[in-house]
Amino acid sequence: MNIFQALETLLERRPDALYVAALGTVTSALRTVSSDGPHLYFGGAMGSAAPAALGIAERVAPRLVIAAVGDGELLMGARTLWSIAGAKPSNLLVVVMADGKYSMTGGQRIETPLAAAEAASAIPGISGCRVESTESLSEALDELPLPGVIETVLSDGIELLASPFVEPHRVRFAFEAEIERGG
Amino acid sequence: MASADRISADQPGWESALADGLLSAGCDAAVLVPDKRLEPIASRLRSRVAVRTLLQEEECVAHAGGQVLAGGRPAVLMQCSGLGNALNALASFVIPYGLGIPLVISMRGTLGERNPAQVPMGRATATVLGALGIQAFAVDDPGQVQATAAGITDMAGAGVTAAMLLGQELLPSATTGARR
Repeated sequence: MNIFQALETLLERRPDALYVAALGTVTSALRTVSSDGPHLYFGGAMGSAAPAALGIAERVAPRLVIAAVGDGELLMGARTLWSIAGAKPSNLLVVVMADGKYSMTGGQRIETPLAAAEAASAIPGISGCRVESTESLSEALDELPLPGVIETVLSDGIELLASPFVEPHRVRFAFEAEIERGG
Repeated sequence: MASADRISADQPGWESALADGLLSAGCDAAVLVPDKRLEPIASRLRSRVAVRTLLQEEECVAHAGGQVLAGGRPAVLMQCSGLGNALNALASFVIPYGLGIPLVISMRGTLGERNPAQVPMGRATATVLGALGIQAFAVDDPGQVQATAAGITDMAGAGVTAAMLLGQELLPSATTGARR
């Protein structure tokens, strides 16, 4: 499974969710597979996508909010797993696109273990699982209690198509309109 | 008599007025990292609106930014030492996306500070905010906190993040209750 396939699975299975994409590879890939859909694309602020998604989720409940983040992003803001567990939003899912490297900055290997599924599972108030195929990702979407973390193991590399550099105001207006549309 | 002697944190005074200023201008939530100096403000807010306690100031700013995108009007409360933690979320998310958030910042490291670890960030706070283009309004007079809080909340409603800096003169003690 590559990141395009993982994101396509999410969009197909949860088309009415609000999507928050962390900077870099995830933003580029989501722009590509959604044809620049009305999602919240981060252009910076590494580590901030999940807490922003938490803030959104608390405002738009019960509408589902999906934060799609890279493994480097998750590790930089890992404390937010605990914050999510404390807030217990039943409409928030964090999907970690785990390729084991900092893809956007040159592909440097992440030197620490990720263990996002184990970490989430160990924290009261949040659940976690690991998936390695689009089929198991689909099953996890149906079965994982929320709030939750799906660690999506990516085994196939991709060539980025859309730019990860976004125009913030355009992103904001499109995303706000998508919230207004309801789901 | 110093302001800190006249107004105790245990008495609903300027802290309640500050909270009321935020609320009167439309603030409908708050996010903070626990802090003894800010707690009376948070307590007043908590009786009226949702107050979310998070783990670090950068997280607070990102959370508040998300709320703004979803139609909310949150304030972020932090000690000035936490501003250093919050810079990336402010500079790379809140400001470029035009998300107005009132920042209530309690100052440490100013005149009379007895903890040297607090001094560099206290000295830098207004400069750092200014470098990001965030207007900061210093408040030392309890009579000014409500109007200032309402003012920065009005600015946030117009998409402009601004800060009020609560001078140590306002606070119950400059040397106790430090979070870090």
